[in-house]
Amino acid sequence: MKQYAALPFEDHFRIPLEDLKKILASALSLGGDFAEIFLEYGIYNFINMEEDIVKETAESVNLGLGVRVISGEKTGYGYSNDLSFEKIKKAALTAAAIASGGASSSLPRFRGLRYRHNFYRVEKPAHRIPMGKKLPLVREAYFAARNYDEKIKKVKAAFQDSLQYVMIVNSEGLVARDVRPLVKLTCVAIAEKNGKREYGYFGGGGRVGVEYFSRTQTPRRIGEEAAREALLLLEAREAPAGEMPVVLSPGHSGVLIHEAVGHLLEADFNRKKTSVFWDKMGKKVGGHQVTIFDDPTIPASRGSYNIDDEGTVPQKTLLIEKGIVRGWLQDRLSAGIMNLPLTGHGRRQDFTCIPIPRMANTYIDRGEYDPEEIMKSVRKGFYVDRLQGGQVEDSGKFTFSVSSGYLIEGGKLTAPVKQATLIGSNIDILKKIQMVGTDLAFGLQTGTCGKEGQEAPVNDGCPTLKISAMTVGGTG
Amino acid sequence: MKFGESKKSSELADLAEGLVAFGRASGADEIEIHVSDGYEFSVDVRKGEIENLVEARSRVLGLRVIRDKRTAFASSSDLSLTTLRRLVKRAIKRAELANPDEFAGLAPLSPLKIDVASLNLFDPEVTTLDSKTKIGLALETERIALEDKRITNSHGASFGTNEAKSVLANSNGFLGEYNQSYCGLSVGLQAGNTDNLVEDYWFSSKRHFRELDPPEKVARTAVARTVRQIKPRKIKTQKAPIIFEPTMTSWLLGFLFACASGTSIYQKASFLVGKLGRRIGNQKVTVFDDGLLPGLLGTRPFDSDGVACRKTPVVEKGILRNYLCNTYAARKLKLRSTGNADGSGVSPTNFYLHAGDIPAAKIISSTEKGLLLVRTLGHGLNPVTGDISRGAFGLWIEKGEIAYPVTEITISGNLGEILENVESIGDDLEFLGPVAGPTIKIKEMTIAGN
Repeated sequence: MKQYAALPFEDHFRIPLEDLKKILASALSLGGDFAEIFLEYGIYNFINMEEDIVKETAESVNLGLGVRVISGEKTGYGYSNDLSFEKIKKAALTAAAIASGGASSSLPRFRGLRYRHNFYRVEKPAHRIPMGKKLPLVREAYFAARNYDEKIKKVKAAFQDSLQYVMIVNSEGLVARDVRPLVKLTCVAIAEKNGKREYGYFGGGGRVGVEYFSRTQTPRRIGEEAAREALLLLEAREAPAGEMPVVLSPGHSGVLIHEAVGHLLEADFNRKKTSVFWDKMGKKVGGHQVTIFDDPTIPASRGSYNIDDEGTVPQKTLLIEKGIVRGWLQDRLSAGIMNLPLTGHGRRQDFTCIPIPRMANTYIDRGEYDPEEIMKSVRKGFYVDRLQGGQVEDSGKFTFSVSSGYLIEGGKLTAPVKQATLIGSNIDILKKIQMVGTDLAFGLQTGTCGKEGQEAPVNDGCPTLKISAMTVGGTG
Repeated sequence: MKFGESKKSSELADLAEGLVAFGRASGADEIEIHVSDGYEFSVDVRKGEIENLVEARSRVLGLRVIRDKRTAFASSSDLSLTTLRRLVKRAIKRAELANPDEFAGLAPLSPLKIDVASLNLFDPEVTTLDSKTKIGLALETERIALEDKRITNSHGASFGTNEAKSVLANSNGFLGEYNQSYCGLSVGLQAGNTDNLVEDYWFSSKRHFRELDPPEKVARTAVARTVRQIKPRKIKTQKAPIIFEPTMTSWLLGFLFACASGTSIYQKASFLVGKLGRRIGNQKVTVFDDGLLPGLLGTRPFDSDGVACRKTPVVEKGILRNYLCNTYAARKLKLRSTGNADGSGVSPTNFYLHAGDIPAAKIISSTEKGLLLVRTLGHGLNPVTGDISRGAFGLWIEKGEIAYPVTEITISGNLGEILENVESIGDDLEFLGPVAGPTIKIKEMTIAGN
């Protein structure tokens, strides 16, 4: 098996460890239980193509640090994009004020966290490739969509790559570093026929290098798939309205698991008892075929990381086993309060944000049914081909938006149907997952999840699934 | 020409002008520099205790350069002059990767003068509130809400303030600068037991502290909105009239803005392409975008292109009058900028549906049967077609009275048809945010249930 070396950590902060120790001491000067400095240097590149031309390129630099102090269940946070000692100290004192008392005891010896694993799969790092050499990727996706059919009237293609250096130093003596690459190539195509317009979307990427676009997902395919979806929707009829059996396509439908189950197994919602799952640990909430994991260690996947944003080495985490709730997604604060082990799911958007429990790569594990058998079991129903996204609230009510689907009649896909929203409540849906396929697959590697105003790259997956009844909100 | 509040330029304005000069000297035909300097305070409390307290000051700089009609952007939170000059030089070099675009370029210097002070964007009181007062507001709001025994859990209450200075300088000689403030109070609640939870929240956000709703009002509104959803029922799939509460009308208007934005139009990503001057709704529908309403959240003196903000009629008695454009979209569409530039896209200033004269209560009491829409969940908006399909929560109306709450339904329709089917418009327009509308009643939409 090929070994992928980790990307070298470059010190863009140039703050001596001794100074960081002084900052931590200031952070604990009013008696906090725990203090942490999160340092971040990120670079981001963007190429945008529309109307047959490269419209613009962009580059951005994100440099800053955040100081967090935990006192009991309270968190104080200060951040700064000015890395002078005085400004950092000011942020530390701001955070310190969450506690009120005398200075905490002295800091332990500092030890660098060493780890051998590397979940990133990079041969040709995108940030080292001049932008001019990345342009052909965008152009190829763009023209693959543009030239796919004369009904394709507008196309947009964009390439984004970023590299994030993070360093976490805390009052337990931890010094941890990670260098996280991320790339994404996306394409939107708009098709037009008789004054009617529809759009299609496709993309690819992950924690990979640019070699991904010749080996795994070619720009040509990304463009063609976007065009194909737009054309398909031109012929689509209105989605049905009402309650009916729903079959979810493998891969793309992982959003359902993310929304319906994943969020509500994040530890913060459960320690606060706002999630419907809070009193269901060890209890059966779904059929025996339902096993759900969140795994930040999947190589190359968009949601993966070598350490989380609190410096914890992440674990593949079992959430639901054969229908029984087995675990929460933890960050330091919640794990401490709940007195449970860390799982490595403490993530933050950037240095301006407090870490919170987040998903990484969430999926429902493969089941025992042949996908064809699942289809044949449905006389009349709705097939979800592509999902756009979804939303859930703590009460367990969730929705997700279908961008394209089909009617199922007599166990077969018949007419394509367009946009519809599916709504359900999660405990109900888990019980109604009747059949789980053997064909586990993952989504497009372009997803971003929002929680409390913070965005995080994620991915999700699922095999073909049958839900016995769900409310489909079309107009037809 | 200057938009500043004082004659003396700030340190940030000097930095911006210095970089403009550096960019020109380094080979940029045109260059634009944005700087913002913000101070943020926020406190989250839950069950009577502080959860999070955040306080910070941060700056960010963004730039655009154009050389031979080719554009490049950059931004940085590292404001060291070495980094900024390097980014300017790299952007000038990188511009050659873009294709020449005849529509690219800065806005010409605007002859309009806006008196920043008259816009009332900054409240010194927001900056002088002490931490104890700010924390106290959040605690008080949650305390009042939890007094109601029907409330079973709290998502917590938050109070936050922001102060920001924004500077824009460009090589056409524009230099503008303004300060703005913001404060917001909110609380989120749950009612019912674990397996039958309902939830909602309420908020008040203003530029001026004295205009902010007091804790009692925010708390009581949040409680009322939450408990009215207790013990919901599912309803049958059907077509029925739908009444949009003001927050829901605002949501619908946000979608209208996306469809009427010049960017979506030139990208042909809107069902409103080719509809300028044509009827897109019935007589009752009049929509404005007004960036000059004093003290409101969407108000600003100039947009991110340096074009003066203004009042733009968007829909007049059902006729689409204007697309909302930045300089680029305006050139593409052979129209004029409406002062809606925001970064490389467009955003609303104060975008609102003109109020009618019917009290909201009367709209409900005159409805024989229908759905009062109170909340939606999910995405399900397609600007290309105008199609809407969304998870919804509401109150079922029978014989002019609220009969029971409903859940797990979706509503669907098409924005064009909805605007055509507006039956009545309430008198209750209030700017809770930059996009606002009163209560409206739509003749008929599809509701999917069981």
